[in-house]
Amino acid sequence: MIGNIREYEFETDVLIVGGGLAGNNAALGALEKNVKVIVADKGTLERCGATAGGVDHFMAYLNTGPWDTREAYLSYVAKIARGAVDLKVQDAVFCKELEAALERMEKIGCTLKQSDGKYLRTQSLGQPGPYFINFNGKNLKPALAKEARRLGVFALERCMMTDLLYDGERVIGAVGFNIRTGDFYIVKAKATILATGCTTRLFHNPTGLPFNTWQCPQNTGAAQVMAYKVGAKLANMEYMRITVVPKGFSAAGLNALMGMGGRLINAYGEEFMAKYHPMGNKAPRSMLVYAVMKEIQMGNGPIYIDCTHLSEADLNHLKRTLGYDKDTLPDFLEQKGVDLSKEPLEVMYSEGMQAGPSEVCGSGIMIDERTSSSIEGLFACGDCTDQMRCVHLCTTGGYLSGKVAAEYAKNYSHPIRVDKKEIQRLKEAIYRPLWVTGNLDHKTVENVIRRVMWEYAGPVRNEKSLNLAIDKLQSLKEEAQALKAKDFHELMRVHETNQLIDIGTIMCHASLERKETRFGIFHFRSDYPETKEEFEGEIVIFQKDGKVVKEFKKLSYDKIP
Amino acid sequence: MPPNIDMDRCSGCGMCDKICPLDVIHFDSEKNMPIVKYADECWHCGSCRLECPMGAIKIFFPVEMLY
Repeated sequence: MIGNIREYEFETDVLIVGGGLAGNNAALGALEKNVKVIVADKGTLERCGATAGGVDHFMAYLNTGPWDTREAYLSYVAKIARGAVDLKVQDAVFCKELEAALERMEKIGCTLKQSDGKYLRTQSLGQPGPYFINFNGKNLKPALAKEARRLGVFALERCMMTDLLYDGERVIGAVGFNIRTGDFYIVKAKATILATGCTTRLFHNPTGLPFNTWQCPQNTGAAQVMAYKVGAKLANMEYMRITVVPKGFSAAGLNALMGMGGRLINAYGEEFMAKYHPMGNKAPRSMLVYAVMKEIQMGNGPIYIDCTHLSEADLNHLKRTLGYDKDTLPDFLEQKGVDLSKEPLEVMYSEGMQAGPSEVCGSGIMIDERTSSSIEGLFACGDCTDQMRCVHLCTTGGYLSGKVAAEYAKNYSHPIRVDKKEIQRLKEAIYRPLWVTGNLDHKTVENVIRRVMWEYAGPVRNEKSLNLAIDKLQSLKEEAQALKAKDFHELMRVHETNQLIDIGTIMCHASLERKETRFGIFHFRSDYPETKEEFEGEIVIFQKDGKVVKEFKKLSYDKIP
Repeated sequence: MPPNIDMDRCSGCGMCDKICPLDVIHFDSEKNMPIVKYADECWHCGSCRLECPMGAIKIFFPVEMLY
C-alpha cells in the first residue's frame, strides 16, 4: 500500500520547519544572504503560527530614559527570568538585533507606530517601565509572507515534517508528508532550522475544548521531539505555562487589559494582587496566575478584571485594539454580553502549555548565541527554544537564525548522503497509522494525556506524581501503537498525539530534576516548595544510547554582558 | 460552531480553505463551496474572516465557551 504514496525529493541550502513568526523571520534572514530556502508548515505562510490572526505588542527598549536602555532591559530580564534565562544569549538574539528588527517592521509595511507617528507604550507583567509597544499586527504574518515570497522562498505548505535526517554526525534535512494529498517529502538541506513553537493541547482545558488554546493549537512540540530524537539538548522543559483569560475563551488579551490599567478583583469586589506581589496588578504573569488560582481555591471566586474605572479615551482604545491580537475577542465579548465600560470581565486560569516561564525566555531546544543547537547543522529559533518566545524574540532571534544558517550553508563542504534504508524506515513509520487494524482514535488518547498531565504534572507536582505520570505516559505510548488514521488529516493528528506523549514524558523527567519551586505554579513542587539559589540555572535533558541524560547548566547573573 | 459561511455571499474563491491555519475548512470543488470539515478543531483565530474577500464569514462561539 505504501507504494501508492507519491514521493518527492528536494535539495536546499536552508530548510526551515515552521513558518510562523520566528520561521518567517528566519526565512528573510537567510534569503537576504542569497541562498535557497524551503519553509515547511502545516498551514500556509500567510496565516500560520501563533500570530496567524494578528498580534498587538512588541517588547523593546528605545533609549528614552534610564529604565529604557539595553542594560536596564537585561537587568529586568535577569530579575524576571532568573534561573531560566541566559543573558549572553539574550544579548545576542535580541539586543544586537533589535534596531534592525524595528527597521524591518517598517520596511515590510507593518509599522509599530500609531497613526500619529508615535509609539504607544504600556507597562505590565513586572516591567520597570512601559516596554510593550502597542501596535496593529493584524497583517504582520501576510506582510512577512509577502516579503519572503518576493525574495524567492519555496514554501512546502500543508506539510508536516516528522523526523530529521541525521547522518551520525550532522543533521542533513528532514522528511514529512502533505496533510492533504499524503505525498511523501524528503528534503535534503545543508542547514536545518527548527521553529515550530511551544506545545499546546498538552494539559486539560477548562472549557473541555482542546483546540481552545492561548497559543496556536497546531503547535504540538514537533521541533523539540525531532531534535530530542537525534540527541540534541533541550532545556527549561519542566515549565508549564498558564495565563489568565476571559472565562470560556483562551485568548491573548491579558497584557492589553492589565497594561491599560485593569484591576483583578474577587467575588467580594476586593483588589487582591497586593497580597501576592509588591507590584500588585502589574506583577509578573506567573504571580497573576498564581493569585487567581489561589483566590478561586480559597472560595473567593469568581475572579474578574475590572476596567470600569478607566477613562473614556482608554476604554475606546481598548475596544478598538483588543482584536489586534485575537481578531475574535471583541466578538466573544459581544456574544457573551460583556461591556468593559459597564461591568468587570470574568476571567480564569487557562489551559497549561509547555512553554517558557516568562515573556523573555523559552523552553525547548538549547541554543547558543548563534542559535545553534548541540547538534551540527541544526539551528532553532522561536518558542521551541530555551531562549526565545514572544514577538520581540521571534522577530529578532528568528532573523539571526536565518542569517547564521545561511552562512553555515555557504561554508558547507560535505556531501549530503542520505541513507535509503533509513528513509524507507521513516516512511513506513509515518504512514503506519493508515494501515493498522484497530479502532483507537487520537482524540481519546489525547484526552487521557491531558488529564494525566494536569493531574500529575500540572500546577502542583511532586516526585510521586511525576513518576506516576511517566509510567502512565509510557503505557499510553504503547497503546498509541494502535492509533488509527482514516485520512491524511487524521494522520497528522496521530503524529501530533505521539509528540504530545513524548513532550509530556520529557517534561516530567526534567521536572523531577528541579527539586525546588520556581516561577510560582509554572514549576510548583509540593515536596520542595522553596526557591533555591543552587538551582539558578537550566535543567538540560537529552537522549544518549536510548537513555535519558540530565545535566545542570549553572547560569551567572553577576554582571550584564 | 464557527466559522459560519453565508453561501449567498460566498463567491467560491476558496480563500478560506487556503488560509485556515488549522486545515479546518476544505473547499469542495464538486459542489464549488467551502465546507467546515473539522469544526471542533477551530481555533477561533478569525483568519478566514480576515481574508474572505466577500465578507461572507461570521464567527459564532459554541455554547461551551459562552457560559
